[in-house]
Amino acid sequence: MDLLLLGVSHHTSPVSLRERVDFSKRGVVEALHELEAYPSATEAVVLTTCNRAEVYVACADKDVTRTDLSRFMSKFHGVPAAELNPHLYSHSGAEVARHLCRVTSGLDSLVVGEPQIFGQVKEAYATASVERATGILLNKLFPWSFTVAKRVRTETNLGEGAVSVSYAAITLAKKIFGDLKNLSALVVGAGEMAELTATHLQSHQVERIAVTSRTLDRATGLAQKVGGTAIDWTALEDELLQTDVVVTATGSSSPIITARMIGHVMHARRNRPLFIIDVGLPRDVDPAAADLEQVFLYNMDDLEAIVSENLARRQEQTSRAEAMISDAVRDFLAWLHSRGALPTLVALRRHFEVVRQSELKRLEPKLSKLPQEARDRVDEVTRLLIQKLLHTPTEQLKTIADQVSATHYAEAITQVFLLDEANDTSSSGSKASAARTEDKTPVTS
Amino acid sequence: MTTITIVLLLLYLAAGVSYGFFFAQRSEMVGRLATLSLTAAALIHTFAVGMRTVEVGQLPFVGTSAVISAFVWLLAVAYLYTEVTTNERAMGVFIVPLLLVLQAISALSNGTIEATPILDSHWFALHVVSLLFAYAAFALACVVGITYVLLFRELKSKQLGFFAARLPSLHVIDAMNGRAVGVGWLFLTVGLAVGTVWLFQLQPDIADPRVRAMSFFDPKISVVLLSWLVYSFEIYARSAIGWSGKRAAWLSALGFSIVLLNLVPVGYFLTDSHNF
Repeated sequence: MDLLLLGVSHHTSPVSLRERVDFSKRGVVEALHELEAYPSATEAVVLTTCNRAEVYVACADKDVTRTDLSRFMSKFHGVPAAELNPHLYSHSGAEVARHLCRVTSGLDSLVVGEPQIFGQVKEAYATASVERATGILLNKLFPWSFTVAKRVRTETNLGEGAVSVSYAAITLAKKIFGDLKNLSALVVGAGEMAELTATHLQSHQVERIAVTSRTLDRATGLAQKVGGTAIDWTALEDELLQTDVVVTATGSSSPIITARMIGHVMHARRNRPLFIIDVGLPRDVDPAAADLEQVFLYNMDDLEAIVSENLARRQEQTSRAEAMISDAVRDFLAWLHSRGALPTLVALRRHFEVVRQSELKRLEPKLSKLPQEARDRVDEVTRLLIQKLLHTPTEQLKTIADQVSATHYAEAITQVFLLDEANDTSSSGSKASAARTEDKTPVTS
Repeated sequence: MTTITIVLLLLYLAAGVSYGFFFAQRSEMVGRLATLSLTAAALIHTFAVGMRTVEVGQLPFVGTSAVISAFVWLLAVAYLYTEVTTNERAMGVFIVPLLLVLQAISALSNGTIEATPILDSHWFALHVVSLLFAYAAFALACVVGITYVLLFRELKSKQLGFFAARLPSLHVIDAMNGRAVGVGWLFLTVGLAVGTVWLFQLQPDIADPRVRAMSFFDPKISVVLLSWLVYSFEIYARSAIGWSGKRAAWLSALGFSIVLLNLVPVGYFLTDSHNF
């Protein structure tokens, strides 16, 4: 059994295509159910975010399953194969593990290190588990990737620092005031940037948002959208007395808040900190106001500089994160290869059991003269004997990390014990089916 | 050096190293280990103070070594209280090394303590404990104030870096500073008041020159009164004229400099009183 992944992401496809292959439109659960029509995939997890749509499966034949999955993607989303296939990427074996770790830790994200993806992958796995679409391979792969991603994020600080201007503004506000819930904010202007920042403040449950604009109607409109209060333009200075955070985005050609005005206000505020985010171009606040002691004035360039610095810092951490993932993938690979010997082990055990049963059957006339207790004892002793004999070879085969060696050992055992012949004569079916019966919870169940 | 002194030093060392690692890596597990080590150190220190009290028959706050050790003990307790109530460990890296160094000085200058009859008084014990606790709180306020200034500078210069990533918000640090100064001022006031009462009780009967020298004009007493004035002003300025944040941080540093001045040069070389 092997791992296979097929998907599209922001690396391989334009947003216009990603929108069309978004699993969330019809639902991940429905996708998992539809996958049941493709028996080549014995386990499945469907991951969907705004930047990627991926299907992780366990399968016996990679080529057949890859074809099946691309047919599934095309059919499920109603996108012609000719249009979709050039944008699909696929990984198998250890590369699936590596890719999943990169995705879960945020290394493969559009904004490197973003934290939301971790929760999205967890949710995808949880959904697949609830739908009984996962088995031994994916039940090992996903929780393992969560552990690796947590370690990567903790040890590399990959997710540190704001990487968008609005988030940088909120982070700064938190660094100055701590909790934002008891703060009051003043939004000066009612344009797009003002609305965006006001929405962020609202989402952080700022206690009070006041909006002012030269046109009171526009201020009222924005205030209604963000659950704030519109105030008259002439009340700007009075409002500065009580507010903690000021967002200015007016597009005025000259500063509307002067250093002198703030100096006067700061005196009346008894030096309470004032955080001003000036996202207007040209600037709405006189830069000299930044010299006042408890005034923290940040303009668009300042916020963008913070974002660029954080992004650069995250990039520096990526090589460390990649190295950590490589180490972890090596361990996972060893486990995966040890699984390769499983069909042989199952066949070997079955072969020994067949021999035991046939010997017991042969000795039945003699054994039947013994009391039931003694017969049970014979049955138990022979079973334990087989278990003990097989214990060491089983453990040894499981520890072989190298796939080529594992295959050689499996072949040798198959030939020495004539397992193929034994299985042909056995009524229990093939090695693969034996392994599947033991290990998987098939999607097609 | 006794076994308990060595164990205590090792625990403070372990706590210091753990707080250092916690500050650099921000691993929650290392943070918990740091708190655990410091709590263990504080508990053993409490035990050691108790043992010495039983041994000497009065609180072991006589002699430089014992006073420094008691100061370390109270600062550790005060810091742990702050850490638990604010759920903030970042300050540990600034406080615990100070504890370690002072405890090492105390351990190396370990002298014998003899019971002094005139100090065998509840008033004296309360006087010394209150002042030491006040000094511990002021030390905490000073360190917290320094971290405020470090973060403030990063935020003002718009170069967010090491401290912005590790320290709590300016608001939280400022609140910690205010609380530490408030508690310290309260204990300083109580300590001074109790000291005055104790002195009045002793004065008529004692011919000891050290007791006779105790007056407002003795450098040790006038400097401690100066520190009381500085901290009183800080509290007044914070509430009445909005001197919080950076100004409060600087005032805390100034106040603690005066306290240190009183503890070492004035205490050793200038005063005629308090040399017990």
